[in-house]
Amino acid sequence: MIARQLSYFAPAAVMSAWATVMLHTIASGHIKELLSPMFRSYVLVAAILLMLLSALYLFLYEPAAPTPALAPTGRLRQLGRWAMLLIPIIAASVLSPAAFSSSTVVKRGLDSTYQMPTWNTAGQANAKAVVNSDSNQIAPVEVTDLISISQKPDLIKSFDGRKVHVVGLFNGQGGSSLKLYRLIMWCCAADAQPMSIALSGNTTGDWKNDQWLDVVGTARFPSTLGHVVPEVEVDSIKPTQEPDEPFLSP
Amino acid sequence: MFFAAAFDLPSAPASTGIAWPDVALSFFAIVLEGAPFLLLGAIVSGLVDVFLPAGTIKNWLPKSKTQGVFAALGAGLIFPLCECGAMPIVQRLIRKGVPPAVATTYMLAAPALNPLAMFSTYLAFRNQDPWLMIVLRFGFSLAVLLFLGFWLIKLRPDQMLRAETITGSPRPAQELSPNPGLVLTPRPGASFGGLQQFTGAVIRDFTGVLLFLVIGAAAAAIFSTGFNRDLLAPIGHSVVLGPLAGILLAQVLCLCSTTDAFIIAAFVPFSIPAKIAFLVAGPLIDLKLYWLYRSAFQPRFVHGLWIRALAATFLLTLLYSMQP
Repeated sequence: MIARQLSYFAPAAVMSAWATVMLHTIASGHIKELLSPMFRSYVLVAAILLMLLSALYLFLYEPAAPTPALAPTGRLRQLGRWAMLLIPIIAASVLSPAAFSSSTVVKRGLDSTYQMPTWNTAGQANAKAVVNSDSNQIAPVEVTDLISISQKPDLIKSFDGRKVHVVGLFNGQGGSSLKLYRLIMWCCAADAQPMSIALSGNTTGDWKNDQWLDVVGTARFPSTLGHVVPEVEVDSIKPTQEPDEPFLSP
Repeated sequence: MFFAAAFDLPSAPASTGIAWPDVALSFFAIVLEGAPFLLLGAIVSGLVDVFLPAGTIKNWLPKSKTQGVFAALGAGLIFPLCECGAMPIVQRLIRKGVPPAVATTYMLAAPALNPLAMFSTYLAFRNQDPWLMIVLRFGFSLAVLLFLGFWLIKLRPDQMLRAETITGSPRPAQELSPNPGLVLTPRPGASFGGLQQFTGAVIRDFTGVLLFLVIGAAAAAIFSTGFNRDLLAPIGHSVVLGPLAGILLAQVLCLCSTTDAFIIAAFVPFSIPAKIAFLVAGPLIDLKLYWLYRSAFQPRFVHGLWIRALAATFLLTLLYSMQP
């Protein structure tokens, strides 16, 4: 009897749970760490539709009549199937951190295996705007702006030596190579890709991997074996809060 | 040893093994991204169930299976669908009488030949010979799809499909419904002009495929988080191993066909054949799709599809790679 009631309410419970998790993820702002802006509204629509479907299900369908067709093990298998839909999504919503750890970031190619996507016209336009800004002022830049500039010799020539202000995540790689990186998200966090610049100069401090840092310094574009690695020669460095959008979207 | 290194297993420091919180983050992101599209597919499937009689669809289709395969490839171009959204619709079409070979060819073609995927390929490779990349991606995808389509028409439905996909009949014990855990008993007098049937179809299809999305997302999250991509870098330009590396990366990253070009375009260590192998193999099958396909097809068939799709992709890209 109880198993039959559970079987009846399970679809509504699962759909409501998914909708609740989706709505909570949106309301808490955690969605910014999971999906690019384009996909966030789809989640909201899906959550509303799932709530509606749950209500419609309860309104349009009733508990099944007792049937001898299913053995207790069959009923358990059915309930196990619903549990598999319920438990992972709730566990993931509770356990998923705000960002990837440094070990995953390194595995995704923190070093020079990736280059700034050349299709990103908005990024290139932004990089040009940064280069054309008042050279007497400290230029607020993103990590990606410096990478875009590093791929254009004419922009390097104009921008090399400029004072910049940049925010990003720290990666020390055992102290041998200091990097400031941002994760670029195309669709969702699963496809996020780190893009990094090097830090040199006055980097003194007990910085931890994946810590958000606010850096002011001089933009440099040294070339090693024909590959330009953008670098900031640090004047000042301090911890800062996670920005409103922790991932950058192209 | 390669896989031990790839996943930083015992030989590497413990701190660099699989980070389970990262797996949770990746898993959560994949299911949140895929679920809305799966729901959209289930809604379209529900509409097909209620408003499209089986006879109408049959009348639209060519009589010969071979022509049906070509029609399915054309439909993949005209009616683009993402991988997640296609599954419920394809299952519904099969239950409405569309030959499984034709429906399956459409299922494979919709993401692979998707015009949006070609457009994203153009954007991604805009400064890296975009038209060559589009021609190679489209041409190789079409060739692999034709090969798979002609293999599919030789198979009987019972060799391809799970029993519940063939019948879809709500038997009393629901053992053969697309979601065996779902027992739908209509409330008498509450049909509301097809609303009851539509709601039941949507819930059955959505929850039925959702389970496989959850399993596939879990597998994809573990592999895409734990796999060290830099290990593929040294072989990315190899004539033989390059295409293999591209195929392997596509299997573990499990990207959508409209996104994959942006990721691989920025992957410097890969040659063009390796990138093309990545772009052709990924939309056809990967770790996530393997589980999604298992929602409708028999495991043995999915294994056969996997091997054939990857082997054909490898052969084509290898031939291209070996040209002087």
